[in-house]
Amino acid sequence: MLDFKLAPQESDAHEKAGERIYDLIVIGGGPAGLTAAIYACRARLDTLVLAGALPGGQPANTDMVENYPGFPQGVTGADLAQLFQDQAERFGARIELDNVMSVDFSSRPFSVSTYGVTYKGRTVIVATGANPRRLGVPGEDKFYGRGVSACATCDGFFYQDRTVVVVGGGDSAIAEGLFLTKFAREVIVIHRRDELRATKIFQEQAFANPKMRFVWDTVVEEILGDETVTGVRVRNVKTGAESVIETDGVFIYVGMEPATEIFAGQLELNEQGYVIADRRQRTNIPGVFAAGDVQDPYYRQIVIAAGTGAVAAMEVEKFLAEQE
Amino acid sequence: MALLNPDIQNQVRELFADLAGPVQIKMFTQDFECSYCKETRQLAEEVAALSDLISIEVFDFVADKDKADELGIDKIPAIAIIGKEDYGVRFYGIPSGYEFASLLHAIKWAASGRTELSAAGIKFLQELDKPVHMQVFVTPTCPYCPTSVTLAHQMAIVSPMVRADMIEAQEFPHLSMRYQVMGVPRTVINDVAHLEGAAPEPMVLDKIREALAKS
Ligand SMILES: Cc1cc2nc3c(=O)[nH]c(=O)nc-3n(C[C@H](O)[C@H](O)[C@H](O)COP(=O)(O)OP(=O)(O)OC[C@H]3O[C@@H](n4cnc5c(N)ncnc54)[C@H](O)[C@@H]3O)c2cc1C
Repeated sequence: MLDFKLAPQESDAHEKAGERIYDLIVIGGGPAGLTAAIYACRARLDTLVLAGALPGGQPANTDMVENYPGFPQGVTGADLAQLFQDQAERFGARIELDNVMSVDFSSRPFSVSTYGVTYKGRTVIVATGANPRRLGVPGEDKFYGRGVSACATCDGFFYQDRTVVVVGGGDSAIAEGLFLTKFAREVIVIHRRDELRATKIFQEQAFANPKMRFVWDTVVEEILGDETVTGVRVRNVKTGAESVIETDGVFIYVGMEPATEIFAGQLELNEQGYVIADRRQRTNIPGVFAAGDVQDPYYRQIVIAAGTGAVAAMEVEKFLAEQE
Repeated sequence: MALLNPDIQNQVRELFADLAGPVQIKMFTQDFECSYCKETRQLAEEVAALSDLISIEVFDFVADKDKADELGIDKIPAIAIIGKEDYGVRFYGIPSGYEFASLLHAIKWAASGRTELSAAGIKFLQELDKPVHMQVFVTPTCPYCPTSVTLAHQMAIVSPMVRADMIEAQEFPHLSMRYQVMGVPRTVINDVAHLEGAAPEPMVLDKIREALAKS
C-alpha cells in the first residue's frame, strides 16, 4: 500500500520573525505540542509551533499505536502524527520545522532562537519530548546509522532474513521487536532483568512469536564489527560471564532522556533532567509552561502528552487574559 | 484509481497556489522489469495536474537514452525537477510516504530558485569549483529522511556544481549494498564521504568540505 504524507504547510513565520510577537510559541511538534496548538488556535491565540526535525513527534517513527482512544483497530504512528498535524493546521497553527538552538526566558516577551532566526512570544509551551537513550558502550557511535538504530520503521527493511538484536524490555523494545520479525530471520531480545517490563499483551505476542528469542539478565558491553556490525559482547549480570552474540544489527530501546539541554539554567529541572511543572503545567518562570514527555518521568504515553498539552494551552489562555 | 486522495489533492493544490514560476517534471520509466515505475509515473502525472505551472514529460529509459544521458539519469524510476534551469534535483524510486513532502518542497524551490539555506551556506556553495554529487538514501517510512533530502536538494538549487539525488533504498538494493546502507537517512557525497542521520546544514557543509579534500 502506498501512502503520501504532507509536511506542514510552509508559513511566513521566517519573514515575520523580527516584527511579530506571537501570543504563544510552542517548542516541539509531537502529541503534546500539537494538542496545545489545537487548543490555542481555537482560543484564537496567534500561535507558532517550532517542530524540530521530527514533526509529529515519536509517533512518527512508531509502527502501530493500539492504546490511543478513538482508534479501535489501532492506527499507525505515522498516520496519527499526520492527523494531529492536520488538525492543528486546520485551526490555523503555523508549523515550522526548525530546531530551537537557544531560548531567553529572562524577560518578556520571551526569545526563542533557531539557526539564524529569533522569534518572540508572550508565552511559551515547552514540549520537546524525549530522545532515545544510548547505551554508552564502545562501538555504538561508530556504528550509529550503520547497523545501530533506534528507528525500526526507518531501518527494518535492511534486515531482511538477517539476525537483529533488540536491547531493552519495555513497551518500545517489545513492540518494535515484534515489528522487526516481519523482516528479520531472528530477533534476539537482550534484557538486563529476568522478566519484561512491557505491557502484558505485548509479552503474550512476543513469547508466542517463533522468531523472537530472549537473553535474560544480560547487558551489552560492546558493539563489535569491522565495516559492519557482526555481533555484541554481552555480560550476564548474575554470573558475570561474558560472551559474544552474533548479529547484523542492533536496535536500542533502553528508555528515553528528556530533551532539555537548551533550557538548563533557566527552567528548573529535576535530577534526571525533566522539567519540573505543577499540575497546571506551570514551570518556575511565569508564562512558560511545559507539557508531554519533557516533564513526565512516569507515564510517557501519547494520550497523556496530549492531555497535558491541552492543559498547558488552557493555562496560557488564562495567563494572557490576566496580563491584560 | 488515483494515488492521491481528494483531500491530499486539495492540500497540494493550495500549496502550489503561490508557485513562483513554471516547473517541468521529466519522468523516466520503462514498461517492464521496474518495480514502482508505473506508480511513480502515475504519481508524477497526478502531481503535475494540480497546478497549471507544472508540466510533465514522460520518457522511456531505453528508447529515449539520449535524453536520459543529457539529464544524467542512470536508473529508473526517475524524476528530474527542472525550474528556470536544470538545477540537478533528482528522485530515484517513488517519493511516497514521508518523501512525498520532499517532492513538493523540490517543486516549490525549483519554481522560485530560492531556498531556506543560510547566507553563509549559499556563499560557500556558490563558490565551489569542483562538482559535488549528493546521494541521499531513504525509506518511505523514515520520518527523519526528508530533512536530509530537502537539504541536499536546496544545495543543488543554489549551486551549479551540486547535484542531489533522493534514492529509495528498497528499490535499488544493489546501490544500498554497494554503499553499505544499513540505516537511513544516509548521505553519500562524491562516493568518498558519508553522513548518517538527519544532520543540520553546517554539518552537511563540513562533510562536503571533507569530501572535496579527499577527492
Ligand atoms: C518506539 C516507541 C513506541 C511508542 N509507542 C507508544 C504507544 O503505542 N502508545 C503510547 O501512548 N505511547 C507510545 N510511545 C510514547 C509516546 O510516543 C510519547 O509519550 C509521546 O510521543 C510524547 O509526546 P511529546 O509531544 O511529549 O514528545 P515527542 O513525541 O517526543 O515530540 C517531541 C517534539 O519536539 C521536537 N523537538 C525536540 N527538540 C526540539 C528543539 N530543540 N527544537 C524544536 N523542536 C524540538 C521534536 O522534533 C518533536 O516534534 C512510544 C514511544 C516510542 C519511542
